[in-house]
Amino acid sequence: MGYKKIKKDQLKTLFNELSKDCSLFVPSGSKGYVGFDPWDGNSADFTEWYGNTTIPPKALFFPPVEAMLRFRKGEAGYEIEELLPNGRPQIVFGVRPCDARALKITDILFSDTYRDPYYLKRRENATIVGLACNEPCDTCFCTSLDISPGESQDVDLLCTDIGDELLMEAVSDKGEDLLSKMSGLSDASGEEESKAKQLGESAKEKITRQIDTSGLLDKMRSSFENREYWEDVSRKCMSCGICTYVCPTCHCFDICDENNKKDGKRVRNWDSCKFPLFTRMPMENPRHEKWRRIRQRYHHKFEYFQMNFEAIACTGCGRCIRECPVNVDVTEIIGGIQAL
Amino acid sequence: MENRLKEEAGKLLKEGKVDYIVGYGKGTVNLRTSPLITNKEEDLEGLVINPFIANNLSRYPVELKGRVGIVVKGCDSRSLTSLMQDKKVKREDLIIFGIPCEGVVDLKKLAGQIGAEIDRVTDAEKEGENLTLQVDGSKKTIPFRDVIFDKCYGCEHPTPLEYDVLLGSEVTPNLDIEKSLEKIKALDDMDTPERWDYWKEQFSKCIRCYGCRNVCPACFCERCFVDVNMPQWVATYATWQDNLTFQLIRTLHVAGRCSDCGECERACPVGIPLRSLQRKMVEEVKDLFGHEVGIDKDAPPVFSHYEATDPDEFMK
Repeated sequence: MGYKKIKKDQLKTLFNELSKDCSLFVPSGSKGYVGFDPWDGNSADFTEWYGNTTIPPKALFFPPVEAMLRFRKGEAGYEIEELLPNGRPQIVFGVRPCDARALKITDILFSDTYRDPYYLKRRENATIVGLACNEPCDTCFCTSLDISPGESQDVDLLCTDIGDELLMEAVSDKGEDLLSKMSGLSDASGEEESKAKQLGESAKEKITRQIDTSGLLDKMRSSFENREYWEDVSRKCMSCGICTYVCPTCHCFDICDENNKKDGKRVRNWDSCKFPLFTRMPMENPRHEKWRRIRQRYHHKFEYFQMNFEAIACTGCGRCIRECPVNVDVTEIIGGIQAL
Repeated sequence: MENRLKEEAGKLLKEGKVDYIVGYGKGTVNLRTSPLITNKEEDLEGLVINPFIANNLSRYPVELKGRVGIVVKGCDSRSLTSLMQDKKVKREDLIIFGIPCEGVVDLKKLAGQIGAEIDRVTDAEKEGENLTLQVDGSKKTIPFRDVIFDKCYGCEHPTPLEYDVLLGSEVTPNLDIEKSLEKIKALDDMDTPERWDYWKEQFSKCIRCYGCRNVCPACFCERCFVDVNMPQWVATYATWQDNLTFQLIRTLHVAGRCSDCGECERACPVGIPLRSLQRKMVEEVKDLFGHEVGIDKDAPPVFSHYEATDPDEFMK
């Protein structure tokens, strides 16, 4: 199937239709921050103002809080009821290329030796509709991590905003399937296709922030013992969890049991290596000083994840730079390591 | 101002009078500044003073070991004084650079005013009563007082009360209390169920990143009650009930210590209007105890001593 297009003023009708048989999520700013919210039938104008969400789409697959199982004390011992996602199909519309890559990265982790049924079930049921970036943010540096703002192989279907219309291209079978179900589409012309490509090229040029990943693995390793460097770069950090919670690839969690007298539930929630209490529950946090915790975060992303899974766990989305209250900047930290 | 700061700070480091300088440097994001904390003289060239110095730096001396030369605005200086009252920092370990402050730009407000992301603004300068901006390459002028933080309209002490070196001349308060309390007034005007629903909705957004707590200079507990798990007071995971419980207890803990610096609200990534709670408490403390935060460094903290005249209506 070739390129299709839809008029932007038809998106509302399309969304109303799609949301009949599945859960549809679109970027929304209605709560006072930008996140993926269930389609509410109101405004589909996000293409006009949306840079990226504050909370990444990972939250739809690996939610901040989820009940994993319920337990009950019965006559013959404990009865356990697993609480898996309901299996309803989901469409996430408007995912940026960096975030689509981030999902591929967390896929590796959650489908490794331990296959996480909660995350994977939601992923299997989801169709990711990407939206190419024409106007990258000041904080973006995806091009340093082999991601293009204008294209993506990590989505099922990719949209490009070419003015009054969205151009659509199926990337996977799921995308093909979704495209065939959509009404209100028309065929795009070759000219429109090349316009989309041009927009992608010019978006690439707009990205000026960067990190240098060449030889980074060795540099990371040799930076490990450089206490002075890590103390210097971590001094202003406030040890909150913002960078990890807005990160599309950070995936650490804690599990706790909420116990009533006879029953209870096991809950999993986001956790952050930036907190002094991280991993304190099972044993101890070996990283008492702040600089060790900061070092851990960057080493995990740029060294350990690469050693384990041959991928850097950063997509250059820039959220950590944007949201940090004291402007700790990953590109400065990696730049500093390269310069050591 | 900047040059004088660089010069004086340099002298302090060179003569070994302080171990660290804590000030503001240029941020890596358009318009933003970032805390600059250093023990190296060569870094001081990066010190800046401009209308974008949002951070309250007074938290850092508590953490840093040694003597500190610190840059403060009016509200920050009151946080610092409050920390002295609580014996978290010693006055003799500090050299304070005071900045008379005409208000700090709220970047969210600015984005709203220009109708574009801050990313598009490449340059901004305060010229008299106006802020002159470069937006997408063209010049734009907006009134400075339209884009400062709500807290700044209610600032009664724009010139730091405690300092060793004052950078610039004193600023007289330019008060618009009504504007400063606009959001709080709107909440006061709601009936109780409506207000309850409002906060329920707000705290449903909370992801418990603890940004609000960790940037707050008044939140100095070694182990916050939410991090105590034997017994567990509130769940480690985010539910609106426990998020609200956390924030209300935090609000009570910082009562009498909060200088209305607004850092909690600025830090919140999901936009919970936390200052509405904190500022409300500032008003309560003032009404009930006649106490204003960070005025007298030798006075005992309001809630760690008792006066026979303290109000006790709630006990009747």
